[in-house]
Amino acid sequence: MEKYYEKELLEELHDIQETYGFISEEDILRISEKRDIPKAHLYGVISFYSMFHLKPTGKYIIKVCDSVSCSLNHSADIVKVIKEHLGIGENETTRDKKFSLEVVECLGHCDEGPVMIINDTYYTHLTTNKVVQILDNLD
Amino acid sequence: MEKIFLKSDLGKSFEDYEFSGLKNSLKMEQTQVIDKIKDSVLKGRGGAGFPAGIKWETAYHVEDDIKFVVCNADEGEPGTFKDRFLMENLPYKVIEGIVICGYAIGSKYGYIYIRGEYTQAIKIIRKTIQKMYERNILGNNILGTDFSFDIKLVRGAGAYVCGDETSLINSIEGERGMSRIKPPLPVFEGLYGKPTVVNNVETLSAAAEIMKYDYNPYLQLGTEKSKGTKLVSISGDVYKPGVYEVEFGKMTVKEIVNELAGGVKGSGLGFVIPGGISTEVLTENEWDVPYTYEDLFKIGTNIGSGGMIVVSKDRNYLEIIKNVSDFFRDETCGTCFPCREGNKNINKMVSEIYERGYPMKKEIEIISDIKNAVSLAARCGFGEASVNLILSILENFYAKKVK
Ligand SMILES: Cc1cc2nc3c(=O)[nH]c(=O)nc-3n(C[C@H](O)[C@H](O)[C@H](O)COP(=O)(O)O)c2cc1C
Ligand code: SF4
Ligand code: FES
Repeated sequence: MEKYYEKELLEELHDIQETYGFISEEDILRISEKRDIPKAHLYGVISFYSMFHLKPTGKYIIKVCDSVSCSLNHSADIVKVIKEHLGIGENETTRDKKFSLEVVECLGHCDEGPVMIINDTYYTHLTTNKVVQILDNLD
Repeated sequence: MEKIFLKSDLGKSFEDYEFSGLKNSLKMEQTQVIDKIKDSVLKGRGGAGFPAGIKWETAYHVEDDIKFVVCNADEGEPGTFKDRFLMENLPYKVIEGIVICGYAIGSKYGYIYIRGEYTQAIKIIRKTIQKMYERNILGNNILGTDFSFDIKLVRGAGAYVCGDETSLINSIEGERGMSRIKPPLPVFEGLYGKPTVVNNVETLSAAAEIMKYDYNPYLQLGTEKSKGTKLVSISGDVYKPGVYEVEFGKMTVKEIVNELAGGVKGSGLGFVIPGGISTEVLTENEWDVPYTYEDLFKIGTNIGSGGMIVVSKDRNYLEIIKNVSDFFRDETCGTCFPCREGNKNINKMVSEIYERGYPMKKEIEIISDIKNAVSLAARCGFGEASVNLILSILENFYAKKVK
């Protein structure tokens, strides 16, 4: 079962996304040739998954949960304060390429809301003050 | 009171964990393991509730050199975090369950598909797999037997619909996470066209726990139709949100909320969403219902994923409907026209209702009609269940009061 011992496409895309912050045209060309998958098909796959980006993102990708339980815990205030503090909207990146903001569905920490992840790190029990502090402390 | 069964090894280190469930299984015939899981009437804990033993038995009888076990760790249903709890706190038990299933059905290849956002669980599971290889609980000739089994971890990439088993299979294959037409069921033709058992994290962990005992512990837990225990993740307007283990039939939803989760915050109960945002709400008149599959089903709702969200009567229910409707509009995979367009249309109406502050009778009727159309045409459970919660709130709290 040689297929089983190959790296899955999703894993390969994750590794590129993690290293470079996005999946470039050259990456796609390379994967397309290596795996013998049409480029258009790869684009279709990549764009289906919200964690993959075709354009460069900020050094820090902020994802704030906006699903029911967090919304009951006022996640809207958290989103608002991040937007104001960074001067960007949803799915936008700051001009210095430091931060991108995404509003996402349940992050599985509903008992500790409101919640966000920045890259690999979870931040729970957020308050508007705490969020500003967290952002200011990232370099 | 919480019933500690699945949680029983909480706090135990990897080094101290004995893998007795796996050791016992390896001493038994494959069919004996399957029979024990069948007798336990362990139902799938991912939401659909299909008996795990029957799925295993079917896969066992399909003849093929290559079979797969896939652990569904794509947990994305809002309000649900029990699989994350298991992966972070009892990772060895999760993997043990996958290996046991592999042994029982005659598979050598396992996958665990974890949603990409679960960065901590991913790290922990990755490390656990590595250590299990080192202890020869994975790999060739496991614990000196003839049985060999490998496991790979695949990360999801931010698509809720990939939690559906056929979408998840497509996703592992490197495709868009769109569902497949059933039949064929994955146990006959799943991953790479091969017989595949897809089970939820909690289902597999429970199987591992059941195999730990010489007798069948599930026969002494729960009711006739709902055996064993269930992890309930509670959030929303309660004082002590968290993951609690409940023995079926021993507590009502009301007792779970009041005694385990510390009671409702604010000026009283509005409603409880019992099992994720695809399940119908329970009002104050209904929540004194025993927590079992059959009792919740009888009053028109569902255990679902076990993601319980409590909402106090101080909340604007229309804001919640709007939030839920946004979710279904954004997360549909779009294959079935009625699911895609229906959820979009409902979202438009719900937004207007939210702005206005109340619904019209006509709108509730239209939403109910769309619900029927979407359920009938849906290829997967997403479409079937997408309107349940929205309609149940409108019917319970508004239908009688509006024109
Ligand atoms: C849209 C959708 C999302 C789903 N998400 C999950 C999920 O996150 N985890 C899960 O175990 N099952 C999920 N399911 C159910 C799976 O299709 C499948 O029934 C389950 O993984 C089987 O395992 P079980 O029998 O052990 O529950 C989902 C189903 C649908 C239709
Ligand atoms: S019911 Fe909805 S989510 Fe499921 S396959 Fe059809 S369009 Fe996709
Ligand atoms: S609702 Fe926000 S983490 Fe689940």
